[in-house]
Amino acid sequence: MTDKQLDGAQLAILANRFEGISSKMGNTLLRTGRSGVLNRAKDFSCCILTADCDLLAVAESLPIHVLSGPDIMARSMKEFHPVLKKGDAFLHNSPYHGCSHPADHTIIMPVIDDDGVHHFTVLAKAHQADIGNSIPTTYHGTARDVYEEGALIFPAVQVLKNYETIEDIVRMCQLRIRVPEQWHGDFLAMLGSALIGERELLALGKEVGWDTLHAFTGQWFEYSEKRMADAIGDIPKGQASAQSTHDAIPGTPVEGITVTSNVTVDPDAGRITVDLRDNADQMNCGLNVSESCTRTAAYIGVFNSIDHTVPKNAGSLRRIELHLKDAGVVGIPRHPISCSASTTNLADRIVSATQRAMAEMGDGFGMGEVGCFCPPSTAVVSGTDPRNGKPYVNQLFLGHTAGAGAPHQDAWLTMLHVGNGGMCFIDSVELDEVYTPIHVHTRRLIPDSEGAGRHRGAPGIEVEYGPVNCRMEAGFVHDGNIHVPQGARAGLPAARSNQFRSTRNKELEPLDQCSIVWIEDGETLVSIAQGGGGYGDPMTRDPERVLHDVREGIVSRARAEEVYGVVIADDMSVDSARTTELRLA
Amino acid sequence: MRFACDTGGTFTDLIVEDDDGALSMYKASTTPSDPVQGVLDALTLAAGDRNIPLGDLLARGEMLIHGTTHAINAIITGNTARTAFLTTAGHPDILVLREGGRIEPFNFVAPYPEPYIPRALTFEVPERVNSAGAAYTPLDEAATVEIIAKLNAADVEAVAVCFLWSISNPAHELRVGELLEEHLPGTPYTLSHQINPALREYRRASATAIDASLKPLMGKYLGGLTERLTAAGFTGRTLVLTSQGGMLDASDLARKPIHAINSGPSMAPIAGRNYADIDCASPNVIIADTGGTTYDVSLVRDGRIPLTKETWIGQPFRGHMTGFPSIDIKSVGAGGGSIAWVDAGGLLHVGPQSAGAVPGPVCYGAGGTKPTVTDACVTLGYLDPGYFLGGTMDLDAAGARKAVEDHVATPLGLSVEEAAASILSVATENMVQAISDITVDQGIDPADAVLIGGGGAAGLNSIYIARRLGCPTLLIPETGAGLSAAGALMTDLTNEYRATFFTTSDAFDRDGVNRTLDGLRAEAQTFIDGPGSNAVSSQIEFAVEARYASQVWEIEVPLSIDRFSHDEQLGTLNEAFHAMHERIFAIRDPGSVIEYVGWTVTARCGLRDGGPGRLVAGKGHKVSGTRKVYFAGEGSVDAVVHDFETMAMGQPFQGPAIIESPFTTVIADGATSFERTASGSLLMRP
Repeated sequence: MTDKQLDGAQLAILANRFEGISSKMGNTLLRTGRSGVLNRAKDFSCCILTADCDLLAVAESLPIHVLSGPDIMARSMKEFHPVLKKGDAFLHNSPYHGCSHPADHTIIMPVIDDDGVHHFTVLAKAHQADIGNSIPTTYHGTARDVYEEGALIFPAVQVLKNYETIEDIVRMCQLRIRVPEQWHGDFLAMLGSALIGERELLALGKEVGWDTLHAFTGQWFEYSEKRMADAIGDIPKGQASAQSTHDAIPGTPVEGITVTSNVTVDPDAGRITVDLRDNADQMNCGLNVSESCTRTAAYIGVFNSIDHTVPKNAGSLRRIELHLKDAGVVGIPRHPISCSASTTNLADRIVSATQRAMAEMGDGFGMGEVGCFCPPSTAVVSGTDPRNGKPYVNQLFLGHTAGAGAPHQDAWLTMLHVGNGGMCFIDSVELDEVYTPIHVHTRRLIPDSEGAGRHRGAPGIEVEYGPVNCRMEAGFVHDGNIHVPQGARAGLPAARSNQFRSTRNKELEPLDQCSIVWIEDGETLVSIAQGGGGYGDPMTRDPERVLHDVREGIVSRARAEEVYGVVIADDMSVDSARTTELRLA
Repeated sequence: MRFACDTGGTFTDLIVEDDDGALSMYKASTTPSDPVQGVLDALTLAAGDRNIPLGDLLARGEMLIHGTTHAINAIITGNTARTAFLTTAGHPDILVLREGGRIEPFNFVAPYPEPYIPRALTFEVPERVNSAGAAYTPLDEAATVEIIAKLNAADVEAVAVCFLWSISNPAHELRVGELLEEHLPGTPYTLSHQINPALREYRRASATAIDASLKPLMGKYLGGLTERLTAAGFTGRTLVLTSQGGMLDASDLARKPIHAINSGPSMAPIAGRNYADIDCASPNVIIADTGGTTYDVSLVRDGRIPLTKETWIGQPFRGHMTGFPSIDIKSVGAGGGSIAWVDAGGLLHVGPQSAGAVPGPVCYGAGGTKPTVTDACVTLGYLDPGYFLGGTMDLDAAGARKAVEDHVATPLGLSVEEAAASILSVATENMVQAISDITVDQGIDPADAVLIGGGGAAGLNSIYIARRLGCPTLLIPETGAGLSAAGALMTDLTNEYRATFFTTSDAFDRDGVNRTLDGLRAEAQTFIDGPGSNAVSSQIEFAVEARYASQVWEIEVPLSIDRFSHDEQLGTLNEAFHAMHERIFAIRDPGSVIEYVGWTVTARCGLRDGGPGRLVAGKGHKVSGTRKVYFAGEGSVDAVVHDFETMAMGQPFQGPAIIESPFTTVIADGATSFERTASGSLLMRP
């Protein structure tokens, strides 16, 4: 540390330099990565930490990936490898040591100068298409433990020494991972990304001096902490608790899993506390949420609820205090329990409960619940392509909405799920029909399915598709059939999700929400993916916005009257007099 | 005589090329409500300069090449035609869902964008072609006629038709086109397979919707331009610049107006490539065009200008993706008008807010109160308040200084000069990041490239940008302040023909590819024999878009042949793809299957021999010897003032110095060496 004082311009420029380096790492990984889940779902992240393992700069990526976890992973690297040398790098995917879930392979690399001083740590993480699980999915929702899950676990295992790859590890992975070339491509892309970060940070240290950089990190954390304290200072003082329940699947209690988040806001101290201890013990299924994802999900719930311009790093995170349950289903699950689906289903419920509790503090804060994940429109489909006789396996992103109403705006329509933050792409129907032997019959928003509110949630979306000249296996873990996304501050919930098989006679047969099903030639899979909850009383929604939704076919005239209290005349204008009357009634 | 006229948001730039090749440059204010007036005003300046009436000047012109922001402005301001969207039944939300994706995942204030055409004007047509190109559901003509009746009742002014897989089988789109002609005569329409025959329905639909929505307006604008020029005495050919860096006859462009989206800015890399070639012989060029509100970066990689289909109007994921191939230009909100401000935590920001053209920077004295980058440059002594735009506009230096002091120096506890230098440094860093993004994406190492500084404000910080990027050479062309207009004089009459035909390296359908290329070449030849019939040269280029199996994005690879007749040629093509992939992404995967997706044939017709000539030196102006300026790291120093137009050529100079012309000011700090080259450009080494 140094007591050198930087001014507001020098701080801005160095912050920009660090952000530039992390985004260059991210761009490199995105452009060189091979797996679809990396390229299309943008399921990757890059960040820079201080030598003390504090999160400093993050490339824009999935929220669930980075706010917490990289810090714990960097600490485990230092613990397991007390002597770090220039040119070392480590493979890490252990959810018991800070990784989000085992599918998120991570390269972690200390940045060490020619004098052997460790200044920073860079980290590149990417969700893999396969990690050698016992079944061909990286989300093994029903795994009893890590042994049944079958993932290879790497707790900061050295893979680079003096800039040379340790091929032993590579060969092990290539013999246990189902798509070895694809995995190796992503492994090289992550290494390349980490090496770019390392090289650029070494150059930056040389250019401006390590003293200046370390003075910067301290002051940048102070600046970020102040911005966070100011943002919390704007929230009314209070304490609130909210719950969100994941539907039951095999391995969970029949009533599902309820997540409770207790939130306390102390604006005077500029501090928020999220207590997640009032939750169930870890369970013999793959839904347990790793420590990294539990922490991150709570942080997302807070950051989704406040001024978005507050920088996200160790400085602002100092103002959020978390209480976690040891060996909890959310909290700190212990080996050998499985955290296979840790980044999505139950983690989303933590975010939902937290941001709805935040909404209780006052109007202008928090958010409704975002819709639930993994409908059949985002299923992993597999089979044999009759056009070339080759087997295929592919995760589709054929259509999702899920966005929730926020204090100042309607939903961001295409959120996918809350931990993704809308970063995921949506597939082109034409591209999917080329890649996969399917025919997409329908993809359309569902009228009157939105979570109503002053600011409404997204409507749901219906996607119907089926195999062409073959049969197709589809796997999905669909939440939200029973426990729908709730609204906040008198906002209403979104309609329920659902899933069907349409038979050759065009009859709809219900399917289990957690399924691996065969769809025969001539049959189709019908996915009803849900939208999100609304924010605020729908009776206070701007009538012009209601009119716009009616014109656009998102909301029917009947629902406009019934739920929003807005009367639309036959000439498609707002009948102000009758609207006022209805809203006063 | 030729005229190149580029209409920007603030200024209309005109370069006149005399018959002896000499160039002269003029700037007139743009009249946003009547952009043609700005063109006529600039031409009037040129006539005045020659002491002849406008009619005489125009009568001597054989060609007027026009860059226009009219199309993109209409989209941004929502003044396009009331357009309907006809889509395949079951798929009404193509323009609503787009391709997903988002920036700023914690920002719940920015609204989700409205579709380019509302759902209320979206109509599902009963029909479906499948991925094999077969009619899975036949077109229901009776239902289509009923839909057309609804369009009529809804007072629709244009129609966009985009059906799934029309690129494999256009029969349904073509039939709907005929039905529109019959039942809605006179209403312009666009068919997706004709305007943008590319895989991925959102990109095709978006391009189709944008094109249709511009037809009424651009037809009227270009018609009006031609008429008024003719009325003023012009008898030559009117050409308009396209997003792909070429030009088309005004009447051709009116029929496919989406080509005009980046008309103008697309010329910067054409000019940059030319200037870099003359003075630096570098195949890799970074072209940065500084405007009042935006900073546009484009590239030349190995002598070619990369195209992209991911051009956004507005911010990525919040605006509209055109989906239409266009020169890859990264545009960020940073320019002379960007506002500097200090946040509650004491951090300095520059932009994204801009003072724009109105009220503009504080120093313009038009009501601006917040300090901008331009105000910082006035405070640092870089801009001479008495010689801005050649002395045609007085600057309020005291006002600029006070704004910097009140809004930046005081809150940060810095001297006014330090604060002004900090504003410039933060703005520089923002611009560097924009360049860094696009160079990483396109696989260019700035250390191996020349930086071209274009735009009137480029000279104020380009030396710092070059130094930060590690660019060994910075070139400021003498026409840099009107880079796009200069590029317009260098470009060709160009048209591109595209088709989707999917095949792979392990099962290459040679006959299918040859059929596709033959068809495209025939179209290109028709263009060369038509609009290109008076050209001095013509050529046809072939390229293919390809990717490794399971990749998401294609890259474009030039084809060295126009037909495949034996297997070795496929080997050559595969190797060319591997090499290009390695060039851009730094890796190759020789074991992977390659997928060939889209085929492009480009017709280029050269309308001139050799490049344009040199700028005619102005009358010069008296330089005052030295001026007190402030450089970060050096403090206050006396800089020698040079006159850009009359300074000696080939003579090495060392900073600190200021090089001024009526159109631009270039600063060189003490570490910078520079010379004016024989071509008139300023070659600088940071």
